[in-house]
Amino acid sequence: MKTLLIGDNSFIGVSHLSQERARERTERLDVKSIVEIIETAVSCGATGYTFSTHPVNLQILSALQDSGKIESTFGLYPVLPYAQGYVRLANEKGMRGLVDETLSRLSLLDRTKAIFDSGISALRLDPLGVMKTYLDMELKSYLNAKTRNARLRSVLLHEVITDLCLGLRDAHLLDAFAQHIREKYHASPGFVTYNIVRFVELFRKAGLTTNDVVIMAPFNSVGYQMSPSKHSCEACLPSLSESNVIAMSIMAGGYLKLDEAIDYIRTLPNLSGIAVGVSSKEHARNTFTRLRDGVLGRTDTGASQAGQRKI
Amino acid sequence: MNISVIGLGKMGLLHAAIVNSLPDANVTSVCEKDLFLSSAARAVLPKNITVYRDVKKMIPEERPDAVFVTTPIDTHVSIVEDLLKTETNLSVFVEKPLAVSHEQARIACELASRSRGAHMVGFQKRYSPVFQKAQELLKEAVDAPLFFRAYCLSSDVLREGSAWRSKKGSGGVLLDSAPHLLDILIWFFGEPTSVMAVKKHVYSHEVEDYVHAILSFESGLQGHVDACWSVSNYRLPEFLLEIHGRNGMLTVTDDFVKFTPGKQTGGNGGGQTYHRQSFHTPVPFLLTDPEYTLEDTAFLDAIRTRTTPETNFVQAAKVNALIDRILENAEQGGHKSR
Repeated sequence: MKTLLIGDNSFIGVSHLSQERARERTERLDVKSIVEIIETAVSCGATGYTFSTHPVNLQILSALQDSGKIESTFGLYPVLPYAQGYVRLANEKGMRGLVDETLSRLSLLDRTKAIFDSGISALRLDPLGVMKTYLDMELKSYLNAKTRNARLRSVLLHEVITDLCLGLRDAHLLDAFAQHIREKYHASPGFVTYNIVRFVELFRKAGLTTNDVVIMAPFNSVGYQMSPSKHSCEACLPSLSESNVIAMSIMAGGYLKLDEAIDYIRTLPNLSGIAVGVSSKEHARNTFTRLRDGVLGRTDTGASQAGQRKI
Repeated sequence: MNISVIGLGKMGLLHAAIVNSLPDANVTSVCEKDLFLSSAARAVLPKNITVYRDVKKMIPEERPDAVFVTTPIDTHVSIVEDLLKTETNLSVFVEKPLAVSHEQARIACELASRSRGAHMVGFQKRYSPVFQKAQELLKEAVDAPLFFRAYCLSSDVLREGSAWRSKKGSGGVLLDSAPHLLDILIWFFGEPTSVMAVKKHVYSHEVEDYVHAILSFESGLQGHVDACWSVSNYRLPEFLLEIHGRNGMLTVTDDFVKFTPGKQTGGNGGGQTYHRQSFHTPVPFLLTDPEYTLEDTAFLDAIRTRTTPETNFVQAAKVNALIDRILENAEQGGHKSR
């Protein structure tokens, strides 16, 4: 195992234990203290940051750039879109209003494409083109804000979109996303999913490769968010020849203790990394030191470090 | 089993993906009235799913076994009427709430009573292991509830909205955000015997943004509910129900249920918390929370076994009746009403 990622849940108000706890943390954490937490985690073994395209992450990336303490090996793993932001917009303006607003933002981004004057035509003529332009728009400001030393390792699709595509058995969209990330950003395409078994099945059935693909999926000893079952998800791992699986929710959203998580993770084959959230410098120091000493390098299968070119 | 989905908002997409992933079920068609969204759906969805803009065209052409209705609330009953008048025995799932009023809900119930299909409304919290445990603890541990307080709060409306949720006759915090909480109260305690309520406009002109209601029950239980979608700093909608009884207090949220025994009954006051993670709820396909998969599975099972699903139209109509009573009372200035 080579990758230890800092997750951003604590920084953007996500908690799977209690919403009250999440609110308390966001009130307590300003950008300066978040940057200190990230720097502490890095000094204790963290190799990268995985984050959603939530506006606060723009400030975090800019502040990391200013601090100048990030090494050139530090990896960025953005996850997009920030689903909750779109859910709120859909609630406020309706689904049509959401699409209209998104397309109008796209038009502003790329004025040369008169095609966006008519959203219907755009979607009819080139739906994947619209999707790619949307991805570029969503990523652009985060890539501009990122610290020069950090490298874009992977761009990951949020689990709501990945799993919607899996449910609809739509490999086409997932493949289009993967190709765009490879070609335009020279990074590994990534997918966050609660349904890793189904993901691998769909990719294989469609003749698509998972070799350079990052799959971020829950792995924890209580089977939380592991569909269809803990056993099936575990059994899926050895079948991935060049695994790029990053385990998330290893403490089942704060329900398990770190020692329990480490004991469990050490039993799993073929993991390329772990993503874990921390909410204070002490928490970061304790968590990443123990993960570095407990799991880093232990289950290294020689998985390819795809998508490491600097952009 | 062939499934059609009407309405391609976020709930339509969610149900389409979940039900399409369940054994022996396939989404074969979707219907979206909006030209733009239907064009987008045609371009993006897999080609084995036919996209329509007119329900009356889709049903005879597709002859589905079941339909999911996930359109704005004010269209639910007219669509159910169209569906069940065309195909009497069609199975229909309607996203919550069933209707904009109890009068409308009764029309849907009447049509469903003459049909051999399964008819269900998406009150998925009844399928959440957390709420099921809460109901169990309420019976076993709390003993004779004395009073409760409950709220559902969100930051969904922090300025005047333009969607149907903010329009008179189809929206408001009570119809849009409170149905789950009201359904849980009816599930736990039955229908209240009296209601007193006040409401307030904060950002919306046509609908209420805040409601406070005091509910009284046959057993002597009383409690109050606060529903507001215009509070700051709530990333997700939040739900809390706190029930005080002779033996202690029960706290229920989406994430956990906690029973705190009273010291006078021998408890040490520490209490026991059951987090969502402590329940083993594997589902064949997971999109957001497992209760959505569990409710869709229950709907398909009810169709196969010709049984009545939880929550059926009659149960759902009780929520509409309670919403009507609360809003009527608030209009009248909050005087106690039966």
